[in-house]
Amino acid sequence: MSQTSSPGRLRVAIVDDEEPARALLREYLSAHPEVEVVAECANGFEAVRAATELDIDLLLLDVQMPGISGFEVLELLEHDVSVVFVTAHDEHALRAFEVYAVDYLLKPVSAERLAQALSRARERLGRPQPELAAVAAAARAEIAPLRRVLVRDGPQVHVIPVEALDVVEARDDYVRLRSRGREYRKQQTLGELAAQLDPGRFVRVHRSFIVNVERVARIERYAKDSRLVVLKDGGKIPVSRAGYARLRGRL
Amino acid sequence: MHPILAYRGRLGPYLAAWVPLGGLMAGLLVIAGSPWVEAAAIAFPMAMIYGFICLAAWYPCKTASPHHVPFARVVTTQVMAAAVSAMLWLFLVDTWVVLLEQIPVFAKATERFPRLVPVILAMGVVLYALAASLHYLLMAFEEARRAERSALELEVLAREAELRSLRAQIDPHFLFNALNSISSLTGSNPAAARQMCVELAEFMRESLRVGGVPNIPLAEELALTEKYLAVERARFGSRLQVEREVSAEAGSCGVPPLVLQPLVENAVRHGVANLVGGGVVRIAARRLGERLHLTVENQMDPEAAVRPGEGVGLANVRGRLAALYGQNASVEVRQDGGIFRVELAWPAVPASAQ
Repeated sequence: MSQTSSPGRLRVAIVDDEEPARALLREYLSAHPEVEVVAECANGFEAVRAATELDIDLLLLDVQMPGISGFEVLELLEHDVSVVFVTAHDEHALRAFEVYAVDYLLKPVSAERLAQALSRARERLGRPQPELAAVAAAARAEIAPLRRVLVRDGPQVHVIPVEALDVVEARDDYVRLRSRGREYRKQQTLGELAAQLDPGRFVRVHRSFIVNVERVARIERYAKDSRLVVLKDGGKIPVSRAGYARLRGRL
Repeated sequence: MHPILAYRGRLGPYLAAWVPLGGLMAGLLVIAGSPWVEAAAIAFPMAMIYGFICLAAWYPCKTASPHHVPFARVVTTQVMAAAVSAMLWLFLVDTWVVLLEQIPVFAKATERFPRLVPVILAMGVVLYALAASLHYLLMAFEEARRAERSALELEVLAREAELRSLRAQIDPHFLFNALNSISSLTGSNPAAARQMCVELAEFMRESLRVGGVPNIPLAEELALTEKYLAVERARFGSRLQVEREVSAEAGSCGVPPLVLQPLVENAVRHGVANLVGGGVVRIAARRLGERLHLTVENQMDPEAAVRPGEGVGLANVRGRLAALYGQNASVEVRQDGGIFRVELAWPAVPASAQ
């Protein structure tokens, strides 16, 4: 839940890569004394940073932006933020409401529609909200396979193209991703991620491991019925019997 | 149209074909009892005359076309026409023989004529049948040619319609975003808002105008593209940079309208607009020998969520160039890391030569 500073006030961040579009929203919002514009972001990375570092009630969020899209921003948010999408494209409307967007404004934006969206956002403010990030990730799963995995590290966002993803390992309530010699944490279950990755490239070799088949150097047997995958970088990963069958089918 | 008389160069070979038929007839007359000089004197001129008579086979062939009337009627019509032609010919041969008799060498011609009658009638029927077949054949040939021509015409028309609809595709989102920018500038910078209204209107007006023209000078297409870019620059600001390199020679070449603008639009929408720090769109045009080369190159994010596929704009340009220049047009698309590049080339033509 967001810790709204004083009742009735609405802390808003404007996210749009076009300066005139931000200026328009800023001008419209200046007519609403209860609204405080706490951040203006020109892309999704800045939006994630703002949402992490500042206390924000509402994001006015463009969909198509350089770097990461509005929908991807939602996926990376940790705590509940209300979202109003602002876009020239009406084809994302359905998906926006699937991720519990408060409203969906079409450009050119009218002051009346924005006022409506603000009052809807205020109504929702006190109420508990669904896990936005999870919902957003689930909505994205429908357009699998993923081309890249987004990971948030504090206020920072890392974009990992799936070609550069080596291994995914399940941990308690998160996954650990290995890519280009670095490790990343992502708040997601291995099953969810497995469902989103291209099955032609990634194989679940073990209950806790997904491997990129292009990184596999060889399979080693180390005991009766027990095998290991040896990666090209020398790393080793356990393989279950079912995982071995899946991997053999792919190699 | 008569399949022989209506075409220059057909009557000559047709009549020439009757010369050997005259020889054949002379032979038959010799067998029937005529001396060979007399037979030749009758056969060659009469064969020529019958050749002309048989040109009339066109009328029965036209009315009794096997496509339109029952076969029995075709047969009865042609049998009657054959009989009438043969009878007419017999009468003419008779008259000719009477005339020939005036010459002393052919003094006995009339006397021998009754023996020739069955030969002449039989030949009359057979030759008519040959001529009628020839007419049918030529008419079928003409029909096939006409069908082919109209099919071709139809294809050309369909292509034209396709081009028309392709030209009409201007992305509505471009308009929505531009209007949003104008709406914004109205409050902060009214002069800039007015300027943008004018640029947008000019771009739309020019696009509609050239849409109805088959070919415009490249310089005009570049000016149109420039108006498009002016509108986009208001949205993207310094994130959008454009570099141009156009040779004077290329500028005067004719291009299909809206061949460059969609590529530049793609370069902005799918390229530079997806870069956090913005980027450069490079437009180059030059004439290399007999070919005009247009290149649009832009920076892009190779890790963008959406793979830069062949969008509607590029597919349209490709289709239009193929329709206009066929194999002579080339469209090369290349992605090399962070650079996306499209190169078009086709035979250079002067403006409005089409």
